[in-house]
Amino acid sequence: MSATTDAHQLAAHGLSLGYGGRLVVEGVDLTLPGGAVTAVVGPNACGKSTLLRGLARLLTPAAGTVTLDGASIHRMSARALARRMGLLPQQAVAPEGITVEALVRLGRYPHQRLLTPWSAADQAAVEEALRRTGTQDLRDRAVDELSGGQRQRAWIALALAQDTPLLLLDEPTTFLDLRHQLDVLDLVGELNAEAGRTVVMVLHDLGQAARYADHLVVMRDGRPAAAGPRRTS
Amino acid sequence: MTTLTTDAAPRAAGGALARQRRRTALLSAAATALLVALTAIGLGTGEVPIPPLDALRGLVGLGDPGNVMLVQELRAPRVLSAVAAGAGLAVAGAILQRVARNPLASPDVVGVTGGASLGATAVIASGAPAALTSPAALGGGLLAAGLLFLLAWRGGFTVSRLVLVGLAVQSGLAAAVNLLIVRFPAELASSALQWTTGSVYGRTWTEVEAGGGAILAGLALALACHRRLAVLDLGDDSAAALGLPPHAARSRLLLLAVVLASVAAALSGPVGFVALAVPHVVRFLAGPPTAGTLALTALTGAVLLLGADLVVLHVLPVHGLPVGVVTATLGAPWLLVLMFRQLKPTAGSATR
Repeated sequence: MSATTDAHQLAAHGLSLGYGGRLVVEGVDLTLPGGAVTAVVGPNACGKSTLLRGLARLLTPAAGTVTLDGASIHRMSARALARRMGLLPQQAVAPEGITVEALVRLGRYPHQRLLTPWSAADQAAVEEALRRTGTQDLRDRAVDELSGGQRQRAWIALALAQDTPLLLLDEPTTFLDLRHQLDVLDLVGELNAEAGRTVVMVLHDLGQAARYADHLVVMRDGRPAAAGPRRTS
Repeated sequence: MTTLTTDAAPRAAGGALARQRRRTALLSAAATALLVALTAIGLGTGEVPIPPLDALRGLVGLGDPGNVMLVQELRAPRVLSAVAAGAGLAVAGAILQRVARNPLASPDVVGVTGGASLGATAVIASGAPAALTSPAALGGGLLAAGLLFLLAWRGGFTVSRLVLVGLAVQSGLAAAVNLLIVRFPAELASSALQWTTGSVYGRTWTEVEAGGGAILAGLALALACHRRLAVLDLGDDSAAALGLPPHAARSRLLLLAVVLASVAAALSGPVGFVALAVPHVVRFLAGPPTAGTLALTALTGAVLLLGADLVVLHVLPVHGLPVGVVTATLGAPWLLVLMFRQLKPTAGSATR
């Protein structure tokens, strides 16, 4: 697997997260190595998805901070952060009737300004994202007509068109049958190996996490019970 | 980085997006032609008929001075009010339906039309000059929107909260309007009722210029913001991950929609069904929403309201009917037909 680097390194410092006063994640200190695939695993309701949402700035921390290469992500503009970090949310629902290509084009949003026309660079990024995810042939199909696996690849293509060095995935394999689960995870592995992307994903299957991740974080009761590189024995 | 997409063109010719773009352009051209034709008919028809082309020339001050006066002084304010209000209501409805993620959202659901009606009715009730009716309607609509923002804001707008609070605001305001109408002398009540059904009767140039200008600016802003609308359609998490803070974006788009709806309601009264139905009609004709279909929505709204007003003026045997009666009578069955046709093939996605 690829070598870890110091670039695109996401870290949590004393991070507490919760919903309406109830803390789900408490006082987490964690460094996620750059250039590697990290899997966050743990039993249901251990706070692993909440942790990912906090790292992606979808939740405002009750305490502590998240830093990207040492700088607090809470002080960055939304657009600036979105040019560095992409996210595949859990159970994303596409607008009715939208085609795969129209969906993937929205990934260029953080790179566009008000009234700037669609550029050749935008189109190139969309083509690359479609190619990488093998969704070129689906580009004219409506997302809501696709199978679960195809749909998930279209959403990953959206995050890829965003062209970020860091990619967060929240349970990318849930609701997929086993073969499509492995397809998606293989794709994640390739994205990391070829472009050196930092990947952080929440998985519910420990076996898959051990097979596809360089680095594991095991959550229990809102805290990392263990974190470190996968043992390659 | 900002070079235009000249080299992206090769495959665009056959793609679904390009097909939709062509279809939308074609439909927009047709709607524009229809709008011009209806405008010419509207300006030319009346007790003194004027040929359509002369009527259009009269609008810009050319041709026979008598025609110019007739068109500019008497007929243009009503026709242009219908055009501007129709466009404003339709685009307001389209934005509201997407922001609220509810296909039934319209200015009626967020209290704006209730507020506008209350403002106008209060002026009519107090016997104040008729020139105050439109400003009062605008004020009432904006006040209702302010009330909605105040009551629904909890560090952000959740979609369901918005719709529920909006319905509550609307019901309260509608009750107040009914109370006023019931307590009126009969003739004032009739005039108030006429207004609350929606009518472009008796508009002035001042109202047309102010209202039309505001609606045009609102439409331009809506088109410029279309990318935000499209990103927000993906859901709050995806929007945030793409660098669009969802709550801030939602409140701004909502503000734009309620201002458009309030201005339109000030021009035409709370004409029913345009805001609700036109976005669905356009979706049926042109497919999933894009910036192009938003422009088409404005054109279609203008065509619908102007067409309905012409029916009221020149086709129906009964005189003095408010245009809202026609839009609702035409709109309701058509919307039902669309719903039935749309429900059949996509029964699987009915969960949304």
